[in-house]
Amino acid sequence: MPRLLSTALSLRRDPRLLRIPPYVSAFCIAIGVVWLLLLPLDDYSRRTYVSENALLPGQVHTYFGGSEQHIFRAFRHEVDLLADKNNYEVNDKLESILTGFGVKVGRQNYTYHSAGQKYTGENVYGILQAPRGDATEAIVLVAAWKSIDEQLNRNGIALVLTLARYFKRWSLWSKDIILLLPPDSTTGTQAWVDAYHDAHDSKHVSPLPLKSGALQGAIAIDYPHEQRYHELHIIYDGTNGQLPNLDLINSIVNIAGGQMGIETTVQQMTGHTDSYQDRLQTMLRGMLYQGLGYPTGPHSSFIPYHVDAITLQPTGEGWHDEMAMGRVVEGSFRSLNNLLEHLHQSFFFYLLMQKNRFVSIGTYLPSAMLLAANFTIMAIFLWVKSGQPTVKDVDSAKEKNDGMEHKGDAAQASWNPLAVERNLLSPLTFVAICHSISAIPLFVFNHLGLNTLPLAFLIFSVASTVLPAIFSFAAASLQKSTLQYFQLTKSFSLLILGVSLATLSTLNFSLAFLVGLLASPLTFIRPTNSVATRGIFAMLLIITSPPIVILTTAWTSGVTLTEVLKAASLGWNVWGMYTPIVIWCMWWPAWLVGMTNTLSPISKA
Amino acid sequence: MKLSSLPLRAIVASVLLATAAVAEHTSNWAVLVCTSRFWFNYRHLANVLSMYRTVKRLGIPDSQIILMLPDDMACNPRNAFPGTVYSNSDRAVDLYGDNIEVDYRGYEVTVENFIRLLTDRVGDETPRSKRLLTDDRSNIFVYMTGHGGNEFLKFQDAEEIGAFDLADAFEQMWEKKRYHEILFMIDTCQANTMYSRLYSPNIIATGSSELDESSYSHHADNDVGVAVIDRYTYYNLEFLEAHVQDLSSKKTIGELFDSYEFDKIHSTAGVHYDLFPGGEQAARSRLITDFFGNIQNVEVDRAKDLALEEELVQLSKTIAMLRKREAEEDAAYNNVSSIPASVPTAPPRKIQGAKALTEDDWWTKKVIGATALAGCALLWGVGSFLEA
Repeated sequence: MPRLLSTALSLRRDPRLLRIPPYVSAFCIAIGVVWLLLLPLDDYSRRTYVSENALLPGQVHTYFGGSEQHIFRAFRHEVDLLADKNNYEVNDKLESILTGFGVKVGRQNYTYHSAGQKYTGENVYGILQAPRGDATEAIVLVAAWKSIDEQLNRNGIALVLTLARYFKRWSLWSKDIILLLPPDSTTGTQAWVDAYHDAHDSKHVSPLPLKSGALQGAIAIDYPHEQRYHELHIIYDGTNGQLPNLDLINSIVNIAGGQMGIETTVQQMTGHTDSYQDRLQTMLRGMLYQGLGYPTGPHSSFIPYHVDAITLQPTGEGWHDEMAMGRVVEGSFRSLNNLLEHLHQSFFFYLLMQKNRFVSIGTYLPSAMLLAANFTIMAIFLWVKSGQPTVKDVDSAKEKNDGMEHKGDAAQASWNPLAVERNLLSPLTFVAICHSISAIPLFVFNHLGLNTLPLAFLIFSVASTVLPAIFSFAAASLQKSTLQYFQLTKSFSLLILGVSLATLSTLNFSLAFLVGLLASPLTFIRPTNSVATRGIFAMLLIITSPPIVILTTAWTSGVTLTEVLKAASLGWNVWGMYTPIVIWCMWWPAWLVGMTNTLSPISKA
Repeated sequence: MKLSSLPLRAIVASVLLATAAVAEHTSNWAVLVCTSRFWFNYRHLANVLSMYRTVKRLGIPDSQIILMLPDDMACNPRNAFPGTVYSNSDRAVDLYGDNIEVDYRGYEVTVENFIRLLTDRVGDETPRSKRLLTDDRSNIFVYMTGHGGNEFLKFQDAEEIGAFDLADAFEQMWEKKRYHEILFMIDTCQANTMYSRLYSPNIIATGSSELDESSYSHHADNDVGVAVIDRYTYYNLEFLEAHVQDLSSKKTIGELFDSYEFDKIHSTAGVHYDLFPGGEQAARSRLITDFFGNIQNVEVDRAKDLALEEELVQLSKTIAMLRKREAEEDAAYNNVSSIPASVPTAPPRKIQGAKALTEDDWWTKKVIGATALAGCALLWGVGSFLEA
């Protein structure tokens, strides 16, 4: 044992050991990516199952249908008449309809400002009190006047009104049912949910005149689709990549598929063949939406408040009608009505790769963690290395030793290299400067008006590319840029990146993974005096720089830059989306340090 | 020879049965326990209420039924048919009717209360309706249902009763002479493990499923929206409804046990009569109404009556003979003239009186008395002289 220990200790000082970490880093990245690609396989993913006993999905007969269809048509006619009216006129009418069947109605005004634009509207909502319930809990049925694609949610509104009238006749509700009809799919629900939990900014959002109990779940209907539909698209991504409990999705899949015979899809994957490619594509789409952290529907605002919510969107051409949709909602509400406590049994962290196949956090987390670990390993390696003399230093030290000391000491020096004093002030200052100036893009992009935003972004992109050159010139003129200086700046910057990404991966796995992957070249670039290598490194870094990645993504997905910037600003100002912080305050400073290092020539010691 | 021996055997058997009947129970009690609450466990309450209905149908009065229901399904807001509980989707019989006496309800249904009930270790304030007032002539039917596992049964998501706890409770009942015979029936997952630790005599036990086996629900009512009854209970009830229509039923426990089939119950129902006196044979021959019905043997069998009379005559003859012999012996001893043997007489009474002095040593006793008196006088004289 002691021999083993001493061998291990001598191995610690082995110079060969210091060559390993960069390979370990590369290995971590490779494994992380391969890990992700393995997830869609049967051996790594699991079939979904309903784990909450109380839900009992699909065990009830649903009676919505028959003469309700006439009522539905009548309401749709009413909605058509209101199509060109303004928000207040629409709400007047909706209020009179809701009060007509004995539902208490409340209205709420809100005004948001973002990117120099004003988002204003009035929510109308009704509370259908449970006749035998105790009013301590409520479930929400949402239909926004404007659908996710900014169309008139004609069938959705009519269906909610019909269902409200129908639900009113049942006496078996244990929870109040809230019918929420916001003017749009994005800001309205956010204002309402904030106000419901008294977490609203009273300067912009007015409080709710009427409330019920704790929200247990919400289902939004996004139904501008006019023909008979083929399948139900379940949208489940919440703000900042938070997800509703998997049991909610499972129940809806179970009710729609098992009871009504309606196909369900996730992530717009129509015609999913359950092949590896389809599973992978579904998962990657899910990761992209999760990584963006942008709300995907009226349900998204509920999820940060731990209210499990989804949006149901009929799509495709088929033979299912509005009544079938109504029955799915009825069945789901009966299931939610059975709940005795918040959904908690099933997973909150998962990646869906098919409506009934998923991987849970325990299985997928290592891939993002490995990517984050690669930065940390490299940071520690550089820290160790910065404390060791360069080859030339060792040689000169050896010469000195030979001249002055005994041979025994010289032999000792050969395995115990001299430690070099680390000059910490300038690297720390530089990394601190890079991180503090990251507040500039964060502030600018979230406060500028829409007309100046694209221009500002382009200027910033150019500035971001030029800035490293200026920094490297300034650093070179202020002090002698030794190799140790570069090693230390890179070490600190990667350390921060590694720690932040590891933390982020537990909150928003996809964002951490994507940023980790895009930032991975930072691990391998190093200052060099070879112009060709430096050029290659610089090109690689410019391609993976945050502004360029944003521009390329916007360009490839066919969205204008203005749209992207507007959405990012709206996300920050209305939904508290933290993706801009991750991009500008975590990724961009690390990139800035890496790029500066690449451009700087090493001065001779 | 054989032919002639048959009726003889029948007579012997009937006499044996008759003597057994003398040792039979004199009261019937039922302890019906549901251990789960919450809407989705509707079926467990329906199980118990179905059993409640059955034992009441067969005559056990509410005062002798202890019903434990942790939840109130009839008044649950989720119930589409308020005020009712059904154990079948045909909804023909409302189990919650208008004559329900729940003895332990809501959070009163605990392991402690259950064991206190069985062992009668209850406080003075406990009403009679919450006590199991049985004696060593009481037959008890104990029915339990809920969610269980290997050697435990969960009570209300909060605690559980173990197989050992149950066995100890039954043993304490036996020691306190609180039962004559018990039929223990349990419908839960891995139910058979619950009676595996019993060590007290006179218990017949049966359960719905063996170790590592689940117990399944029979069917759901799609308007109520939940499963309404468990398979094991359902088929027990089916047998009882079909074959035990009234107290005159002669169906035995053995026949009930034989009706359990894996194809119907979807789990392996178990039976246990290890410590039953007479073993399997005796246990299986017990009538179902011995436990489910309120049997009171008022109508007395004729053959049994004759035998009893004969026995009584025999007994009185023996007594008379013994008295005669005693009297003869007395007469011989005291040399007194004989008393007619056929008339039973009270034995001569001996009364302890004051003993008279005999003439023998009259003078000696007088002298001792006089000496004692003289001694006392002498002592007084000496005392007063010394004082002076």
